[in-house]
Amino acid sequence: MGGEMRAPDLRVSVGSMRMKNPVMTASGTFGYGEEYAPYVDLNRLGAIVVKGLSWEPRLGNPPPRIIETPCGMLNAVGLQNVGVKVFVEEKLPRLRCFDVPVVANIYGETVEEYGRVGEALSSAGGVSALEINVSCPNVRKGGVVFGTDPDMAAEVTSTVVAGTDLPVIVKLTPNVTDIALIAQAVEAAGAHAVSLINTLLGMSIDVETRRPHLAHIMGGLSGPAIKPVALCMVRQVVKKVKIPVIGVGGIVKAADALEFLIAGASAVQIGTASFVNPRAAIDVIEGIEAYLVRHGEAKIKDIIGSLQE
Amino acid sequence: MEGKISFQSEVAPGHFLLSVDVAGEIDPPLPGQFAMLRPFPTLDPLLARPLSIYGYRRSEGAVRLEFLYRVVGKGTRLLSALIPGDKVGVMGPLGKGFRVPEKVERIVIIAGGMGVAPLTYLAEYCRTRDERIPLMVYLGARTSGLIVGEDRLRNLVGYCRIMTEDGSCGDGGLVTDGVKCDLSVIDGPDTYYFACGPAPMLKELSVLLGAVGSRCQVSLEERMACGVGACLGCAVLIRRYGKECYTSVCKEGPVFALREVVWEAK
Repeated sequence: MGGEMRAPDLRVSVGSMRMKNPVMTASGTFGYGEEYAPYVDLNRLGAIVVKGLSWEPRLGNPPPRIIETPCGMLNAVGLQNVGVKVFVEEKLPRLRCFDVPVVANIYGETVEEYGRVGEALSSAGGVSALEINVSCPNVRKGGVVFGTDPDMAAEVTSTVVAGTDLPVIVKLTPNVTDIALIAQAVEAAGAHAVSLINTLLGMSIDVETRRPHLAHIMGGLSGPAIKPVALCMVRQVVKKVKIPVIGVGGIVKAADALEFLIAGASAVQIGTASFVNPRAAIDVIEGIEAYLVRHGEAKIKDIIGSLQE
Repeated sequence: MEGKISFQSEVAPGHFLLSVDVAGEIDPPLPGQFAMLRPFPTLDPLLARPLSIYGYRRSEGAVRLEFLYRVVGKGTRLLSALIPGDKVGVMGPLGKGFRVPEKVERIVIIAGGMGVAPLTYLAEYCRTRDERIPLMVYLGARTSGLIVGEDRLRNLVGYCRIMTEDGSCGDGGLVTDGVKCDLSVIDGPDTYYFACGPAPMLKELSVLLGAVGSRCQVSLEERMACGVGACLGCAVLIRRYGKECYTSVCKEGPVFALREVVWEAK
């Protein structure tokens, strides 16, 4: 020991996607990247996951769409997005100017639509991975959420995997009885990684008007309040799959991210925290680095899954 | 950006005038722009609060932003408890402000309740740009206790008409009644209207000023999370180029042409 220690190696990979560090920005919280460019050096991020894309542009839900809750917030934005065509023509070229992998989050109302969206993005060039949002209702099966049924989740996964050479990440919904079961099903169907958790279903009421705060009545809960749930589910899934697990949910500082990494996540996503601190992702990267230096660890990989139970 | 409270006082029950000094350079805010303020280093309340910019001053190398606001909940209550010297997180100036055209014959400002804040900054901006342009203000609230910021506004304009719903000061009625009364006299091809206030007031204006077309701009408000157009939480329905789209109040607004705003049945 003694002498200068080299900067720790923060590199991780998900399938063929190589990231300079394990910190990604979560879908739906970072727009298409350019919104935060004045505040954050995008080149320093591990990856950017863009807003969920569907085949056609989607209008989204009527307002009010958001409401703050204790240590968190509910959102019912309604998957508003510009659609694949506009994304590829207008948003993707701007993102290519940065040296950061772009992950395209995708969804559909039918299995077939997922496949179509995945294929279109794969052939566009400039996309490093696909993240499948299975928290959407299957309109052909009476609106049952894809991610709540292992067979439906597997079918979506295998359809998308078949249509692309890109690594495919499946973003799991926590609104299920056994998230590890869904994780195993999508792993068997060819997913290269899973990311969890998406938002928790929640509600808030205005007692003066006696109406729900959200026009959509129910929404997705995110923010620090959900961290314990997300962390627990990450640990449950890590024990049951071999593919990389990306941890998401309530991470606002480096110590939060480290909890997920120690629990076995190979990477993390920062979402709501960006609203609180536009530089949250950068602060987390720097904090992880400082932690590794302080603990004399040369590589991030040495602490991933180092939880002692 | 980090800011420091330089002044805060309760100017009317529940209404506060706040000034925040920020170190470093920021562009002079345009009237109608806002800032996201975070008075708390905690995670609860989680989100910054958007407040319209009421004033902008430069002194001794520091930039001073002024806000006039009403306590409506957890976040504003905490903000109102801050004293000079306290730190506050400031993000801004944000959004697209009011656009005052080159060729203007008369400017009519219509303020409902706390709409007075951005519109006062607009009046100051117009006065500085051209001392001679007639500036008229219609300022309304439910009752006299809720009329705030009248003095600063009166000093900037040539004509000020106060309306209160209960008649406790000024004329009795809605602020839109005051405008309706004078409309035939004040309107003209180069008369421009700028409005800010509660949604029912703006809805009423969209009917009253339907014929003035693009000569009326309104500042909207909606709950916000990110403030920069990334989360789409604050989107309102806007009609542009024949299409209706949910558009971020924080980034594409808060100012829109009145005729672009689609008033849905709530």
